[in-house]
Amino acid sequence: MSRPFPYTYISCPCADTPVPEPGRKRKSTLSPQKPERTSVPAEDSQETQKEKDDDDEQEQEAQGEDEEEQTFDPRSPRSNFSLYPPEQLLYCEDCHQIKCPRCITEEIVSWYCPNCLFETPSSMVKSDGNRCGRNCFNCPACTAPLAVSAIENMAGNATQQGPWVLSCGYCLWTTLDIGIKFDKPTNIRSQLQKMTDSTAPASFDRKPSRTFGDLKSPLATFSSIDEQSNARHEEDPDQSAHKEDSAPPLGAEARFAALKSFYRTQINETSNSPSDPLSSEFGFSSPGALNRLMSLYASSSRLGGLYGSGNKKPKSKPPVMREALTASEGLRIADSLAEVEVIERLASADCGWNGVASADQRTEQSPDVRFVDDLLPLPVLLRTKRAKRCKPCKHILVKPETKPQSTRFRIRLIALSYIPLPTLRPLAFPSSSSVVSPTVPAPDLTALPPLRPIHVLLNLKNHMFDPVRITLATPSVTPGRVSSKVTVLCPQFEIGANSDVWDEALQGAEAPIADSRSATLRGGEKVPEAGKVWDKGRNWTTVVLEVVPGTLPGTDPLSQGGADDGQSPALPDEDVLEIPVFVHMEWEAEVQLEQQNVGKSSKPDDLVTRELAYWMVLGVGRIQAGL
Amino acid sequence: MPPKVPKGEYIETDTGNKISRRSQIHGTQHIILGGKTVIQAEAVIRGDLYRLPSSSAGDPSAPTPSSNTPSVAVTVGRYSYISKGAILRPPSRLHRGVHSFYPLKIGDHVFVGERAVVEAASLGNHVQIGARASVGSMAIIKDFACVLDDAAVPPGMVVPSWCVVGGRPARIVGEVGEGFGVEGAEGGLARERYRVVGR
Repeated sequence: MSRPFPYTYISCPCADTPVPEPGRKRKSTLSPQKPERTSVPAEDSQETQKEKDDDDEQEQEAQGEDEEEQTFDPRSPRSNFSLYPPEQLLYCEDCHQIKCPRCITEEIVSWYCPNCLFETPSSMVKSDGNRCGRNCFNCPACTAPLAVSAIENMAGNATQQGPWVLSCGYCLWTTLDIGIKFDKPTNIRSQLQKMTDSTAPASFDRKPSRTFGDLKSPLATFSSIDEQSNARHEEDPDQSAHKEDSAPPLGAEARFAALKSFYRTQINETSNSPSDPLSSEFGFSSPGALNRLMSLYASSSRLGGLYGSGNKKPKSKPPVMREALTASEGLRIADSLAEVEVIERLASADCGWNGVASADQRTEQSPDVRFVDDLLPLPVLLRTKRAKRCKPCKHILVKPETKPQSTRFRIRLIALSYIPLPTLRPLAFPSSSSVVSPTVPAPDLTALPPLRPIHVLLNLKNHMFDPVRITLATPSVTPGRVSSKVTVLCPQFEIGANSDVWDEALQGAEAPIADSRSATLRGGEKVPEAGKVWDKGRNWTTVVLEVVPGTLPGTDPLSQGGADDGQSPALPDEDVLEIPVFVHMEWEAEVQLEQQNVGKSSKPDDLVTRELAYWMVLGVGRIQAGL
Repeated sequence: MPPKVPKGEYIETDTGNKISRRSQIHGTQHIILGGKTVIQAEAVIRGDLYRLPSSSAGDPSAPTPSSNTPSVAVTVGRYSYISKGAILRPPSRLHRGVHSFYPLKIGDHVFVGERAVVEAASLGNHVQIGARASVGSMAIIKDFACVLDDAAVPPGMVVPSWCVVGGRPARIVGEVGEGFGVEGAEGGLARERYRVVGR
């Protein structure tokens, strides 16, 4: 619906795959899976070939029945998930199937910054937090990219220009708003990190010599949290006093780092199975972790303190994980006055509505940020180039080059190289008078008068190097409450092969001429005729669809007996005229290598008949409410 | 299409450019059209905003007679299409206290929508700019990127290949399919568009 009329969507068959027997059904609805029916059979295998043919015919009959019972309804909620513009679809050469974004898997080929277009090596991605480590920042106020600019823009005599700031070209935010200047125009991210966390790493680095040393031994000596916390309480006064004068509270990132390293050491030390190699990294997901957790419930903490000590195996009492207890470990005690301060500031006149960070802005920032003054520039999130694989057969469908700047692909199996590209365009009204003036405008697709027949041209362009036989089928009346009548004037036709590039280049010059000829013909007496294609080119064919738009519910001029559905008004987008078309294509392809060695007399020109069938939806236009 | 244009709306040049007689093109000697470019009515191309030689960098409107090599303000590739009412304006930047213009480079098969304003440093090949979008100064739009209607690409933004940006300010909101830009499909309609113009 998002595209302007006329549009064409193609339905990926994955949505039709029924739940009970997905494998079998897929085979039967899309029989190109079995292309064994060679049209040039080997002499001695004729008998088997016949049997095979019979089998195939039977299956095709069954398949015909299957398809007859269901007509694709572009309005059904399910079809939302299967309709894609043709250029989004891929094609798997192994499964011989159209692949939509839902039936592929992706794997990351490379990470790059969308701003500076530098690739980030995968080893660096995690440590950089999935963000660009260079000078790329987004504005915290509006998300536009920030530019590095010098503050003092004196006439550039001296090479040394003043300090630098990041400034947004969209909302004119600068880092001066939060009081940050940079000494160098390069490596801004590390400069910024130093500024925001300037106090933290120093104290963090200094502390461990003392506290971590303490904490390691407590794990060995204290057997439960109670004991330990008691001990902690005892030594608390002096330590906390010492801490508060020496170290201001950690910055958010440093606090996170401290907590992370704290818990990592905790996990290391409490996972009591040194034989388990996984315990260090994946302590909680390993099976050993379950044991540990269970035993923790059984014998730890208070219960453990009361009853566990008398247990039969006091030796096996596992060391217990504890929580962070000091600020250097990342603990932060909520200050009861902080909230009051925030509220006062919110209410004060100099803050006001504009001083408060919006919800959108806060989602990108650390959770403490409440005011615009606290917003920090955001390093640009990295993007990825991804390879795509077919989900069932793992065959690679798309593999882009790793370089971020490159737009080329090593592998790119797009559906458009296999299925004909449909394009739709309206034909000028076959107006009531037989003399059609060439200036008759094409019908306005956003307001199609109901019950007035229009003709649309469906052009199918073949990108394969083999000619294709196409059979089109539509329901004579479109599904849904607005029943438009549709007739394909020429449902069966052929499309020529896509010959090589040079032919295309040479014929490219002629194409406009051919087009003009057809245009003059159209201006003249060329009328759509049943059973004949409208126009045909080297690798494309155009056929005419006659469409009689139905009337919208509620506006039925014929007032069909006051049926129930005639009374309720039209739902949103119910006036969109979409035509489901079933496309069946058949072509003769060269045998693939693996199949060639089946027959003894395999010649290189062995051909197999392949077929492919799918639904597509033609969005013609909107139907007018009244006549 | 006004009925009273006697000679047809478009002037077709030797290289196949189709230029509406009602377009406003300033500073034609600073504009390079690659051929088969379509410029529709009421489109504005500001070729007069070219970069001055650095010595006389001052008021850009001051004529500089000593321009041996005419500096290029706008380059447009083949089969590009400038819709009705679109404005192409070379980007400018304040550099060392001097406001100077930089060339605007537009690649092949580019579509610029109606009433869009483009001040980018470069638009790659097969780029689509939606109607009423604005592309800020010195922005770089790489090949096969797509700017949605009504988007405002902020100055200096880089839009990577295959990305779709939209909104104000524009953000990356998605990616186009791998088939984008295939001849005849979405992003590859430039030849068809060129063909139907002026008939």
